[in-house]
Amino acid sequence: MKTTQEPNVTGHEYDGISEYDNPTPGWWHILFFGSILFSVFYIVFWHFSPLSWTVHEAWEKDQVNDYKRIFGTVGDLKPDQETIVKMAGDQQMLSVARSIFVGNCALCHGREGGGINGVNLTDDAYKNVKTVEDLYTVISKGANMGAMPAWEQKLSKNERVILASYLMTLRGKNVPGRAPEGDVIPPFPAVPGVGR
Amino acid sequence: MSVAKKDADLEHSGGNSGAGKGGSGGGAGGAVETFRYDDSIVRKFLTAMLVWALVAFLAGLIVALELVAPRAAQWELGGVRPLGWLGWLASQEWLTFGRLRPLHTNAAIFAFAGNAIFAGIYYSTQRLCKCRMFSDTLSMLHFWGWQAIIVSAAVTLPLGITQSKEYAELEWPIDLMIAVVWVGFFGVNFFGTLARRRERHMYVALWFYIATIVTVAILHVFNNLWLPVGVYHFLSTGEVMSASVFLKSYSLYAGVQDAFMQWWYGHNAVAFFLTTPFLGLMYYFMPKAAERPVYSYRLSIVHFWTLVFMYIWAGPHHLHYTALPAWASSLGMLFSLMLWMPSWGGMINGLLTLRGAWHKVSVDPVLKFFVVGITFYGMSTFEGPMLSVKSINALTHYTDWTIAHVHGGALGWNGFMAFGMMYWLLPRLFQTKLWSVKLATAHFWLGTIGILLYVLSIYTAGVTQGLMWRAFDSVGSLQYQDFVETVNAILPMYWIRIIGGVLYITGAVLGAVNYYKTWQTRPATYEEPVHQAPALARVWVDPPLPKSRLSANVNFGHKGDVFLQGAWHRRWEGRPLKFTVWVIVAVGVASLFEIIPTFLVRSNVPTILSVKPYTPLELAGRDIYVSEGCYNCHSQMIRPIWAETKRYGDYSKPGEFVYDHPFQWGSRRIGPDLAREGGARSHDWHVRHMEDPRQLVAQSIMPAYKHLLKQDLDFRGIQARVNAMAMLGVPYGPVVKQGEAERLARLQAAKIAADLVQQGGYADVGGKKIIALVAYLQRLGADIRQGPEWDPYADFAPGAGGEGRKEARR
Repeated sequence: MKTTQEPNVTGHEYDGISEYDNPTPGWWHILFFGSILFSVFYIVFWHFSPLSWTVHEAWEKDQVNDYKRIFGTVGDLKPDQETIVKMAGDQQMLSVARSIFVGNCALCHGREGGGINGVNLTDDAYKNVKTVEDLYTVISKGANMGAMPAWEQKLSKNERVILASYLMTLRGKNVPGRAPEGDVIPPFPAVPGVGR
Repeated sequence: MSVAKKDADLEHSGGNSGAGKGGSGGGAGGAVETFRYDDSIVRKFLTAMLVWALVAFLAGLIVALELVAPRAAQWELGGVRPLGWLGWLASQEWLTFGRLRPLHTNAAIFAFAGNAIFAGIYYSTQRLCKCRMFSDTLSMLHFWGWQAIIVSAAVTLPLGITQSKEYAELEWPIDLMIAVVWVGFFGVNFFGTLARRRERHMYVALWFYIATIVTVAILHVFNNLWLPVGVYHFLSTGEVMSASVFLKSYSLYAGVQDAFMQWWYGHNAVAFFLTTPFLGLMYYFMPKAAERPVYSYRLSIVHFWTLVFMYIWAGPHHLHYTALPAWASSLGMLFSLMLWMPSWGGMINGLLTLRGAWHKVSVDPVLKFFVVGITFYGMSTFEGPMLSVKSINALTHYTDWTIAHVHGGALGWNGFMAFGMMYWLLPRLFQTKLWSVKLATAHFWLGTIGILLYVLSIYTAGVTQGLMWRAFDSVGSLQYQDFVETVNAILPMYWIRIIGGVLYITGAVLGAVNYYKTWQTRPATYEEPVHQAPALARVWVDPPLPKSRLSANVNFGHKGDVFLQGAWHRRWEGRPLKFTVWVIVAVGVASLFEIIPTFLVRSNVPTILSVKPYTPLELAGRDIYVSEGCYNCHSQMIRPIWAETKRYGDYSKPGEFVYDHPFQWGSRRIGPDLAREGGARSHDWHVRHMEDPRQLVAQSIMPAYKHLLKQDLDFRGIQARVNAMAMLGVPYGPVVKQGEAERLARLQAAKIAADLVQQGGYADVGGKKIIALVAYLQRLGADIRQGPEWDPYADFAPGAGGEGRKEARR
């Protein structure tokens, strides 16, 4: 469209405003009808075709993949002393556990375990723990009238087991934070391959 | 200055250049009448616009400062804390982010943009109709009524009186005022003027005003259907409750349906309060300022109708991946994509109107504002469809990207169109010269740089935080498990935003100075030019439809060609009633196609047996959560996205929200999601965290809520809350018996207070508001983990819910 000369006006005039009779631009039509066409294909594919999947199905696939990636080599873990101690020597499991700890426990126990509103997990004194299995039990069931919440419905069994392993490794680091609470308990069993 | 002056002269000497010519398609047949325009009402609205603009911007600056204040107050420089005073901002009950952010948004939208719209509509409608406004009394009632609404909002929101629905926070008495002022005063005045017009056909600006008035009325009414708690209690028992119970209302809708209605409203408030009226203003003021014809009449028709029809559908794009059904989400996304071109139709018509007048832009600040404003409109309406694409939205939702998007539109499009209009109107309204063109140009540049700093920094913040939320390490754990890390990372951007905001406000202050100085040079009495135009003839015969231009012998083709020539639309333009009815049809059809299935199709919200009503104390706590505006920073909606469920727990199900009047899904995560907060922290942690978040989370930017530990809970008022909920269909069973709700609430409060002491917590908060809030927080997202027969009252009054539990199973 060469616009060296004025395009036609419509002849309408409102308070001195007039209007050109220009056509709607061609690219405007292409994009507009293109977006309508796209929408038709989108609806047909995602809502009426057997090839589509839902976000929930995709999420379930992610869940399975995530479990395989993280726990694929160790399988379902038992909350007994042997497993907890073994996992305390598995660096990959400990890194997963640390991430869970930072996300869920650090708000009360501090990022390094020194304790804020929850107890210091890095000294030798414990309130409700005598054995490593008790670590798992307290994580799962909570303690002290909800001061320590129960996590059995929020974290999977495997996650709670490796969290207990992670807590084992925190002991003795004596991170500054809250003063020791409860009683000093006998040392946890040695972790194979890790000198204590 | 010279251009503005020339325009002013033109206006004075030439008067209404259209008058007397009768050239625009005729229709004049009656006796010639004389009339004057009412510009004093325009001066009032324009003044109000500027005053509220400063208020809205200042409120925005304060809330922006509040996000950096808690950390800034901790900065130490040689043993002193130079910004320690900022800590004050984050600890005042009436100034918390949750209460002030709604004040900022309401002031920006309804006070600033609202008064700008009214100023522009009152100025242009009279001239486009060759008619004074229908009633000077209605004009005054409209003006003062609207300002009264704004003042009520400014008082109630900081007091925590809110419905918690975004941009519809104002409580029920103010909702009623809005309905009366909008429909009864503004609507009647506008349509009355149309009825008395002396110009047969309506110019495109008027089409947009019509769409604005009818659609905003529909949106406002249907999103604000509520049951006032105190009024209902008084009517059913005769008992008078406290003022806060009197002012409280519950949405008739719950959960998924409430979310749907809210974002049908929220999205279309943007469409029909911030888009269509401003397009109307653009169609009047742009060709006026550029002194050029509008680029394309045909484009006006096509983009008006597609815009009006399609905007309505797009609301669900605010709820992608939530518990909203997938079909609604898809419709929201696709109609948003289809809206791209209808929106750009407006941009094209605005910018191309400047063809042949671009040289004026370099000297005229009015055109500068318009060009940048329309450009921002174009960018925002490209960005909007983009953000509504589901997979993009998965990243951007809940982040600052949305905030950046909104401010590009509000500061760029609405703000600059309003200021451009103001500078064009000033010499005409005050019948003098603009005091300083240089100052107006400085305003323009400060504003532009301000917007860019704001928008670019907040985009960066949004993308950064969105990516951090979904980052995994090599093992498969979240890389930034600690939420506060992702907040920390974007604080520098928040500082840049503040600089941008300060520049924008400084520009507006220059505008105010210019306004004041121009006003000072006004004449002692305003000239009121007398105009003449013939009245419309009673009988009007449309010109015959054009002939088909096709040579084919197919009747259908000929009809189609006649249709495409658009003469039918020209006929509609002469019939405001018919035109309005078709606008209502366009808006209504789209609404009903989405609303009816959302309410009627049961499979949209599958029942979950273990989801029970909140206990009376939890309900009271929920109302505190609403009142404090927690939803402004915390979502309660975990999307089925792996990174998200890994961080927060199982994704939210539609059936979990059936008793949530109103829903609390939120739209931005300045803090973490709380949908599964119940049972994750001790009571003691919550109490101390609310008292001062930084005593537990050193880097937190959350305000302190000390007042919740000091203020008494209104136990007596809880009965009214429970009974109102029961009225809305929440199965409370025997709890609705007079006095029962208070008894149960006191029992539960005593139990929580006792547990709190056991946990080593405070002993003196037993009857305080914090106990109710903790009760609510501990319930969040917990039901789904229970068995179908569980009893929410088991801990303190087993079986007290009685039959209600059976009903809940229906």
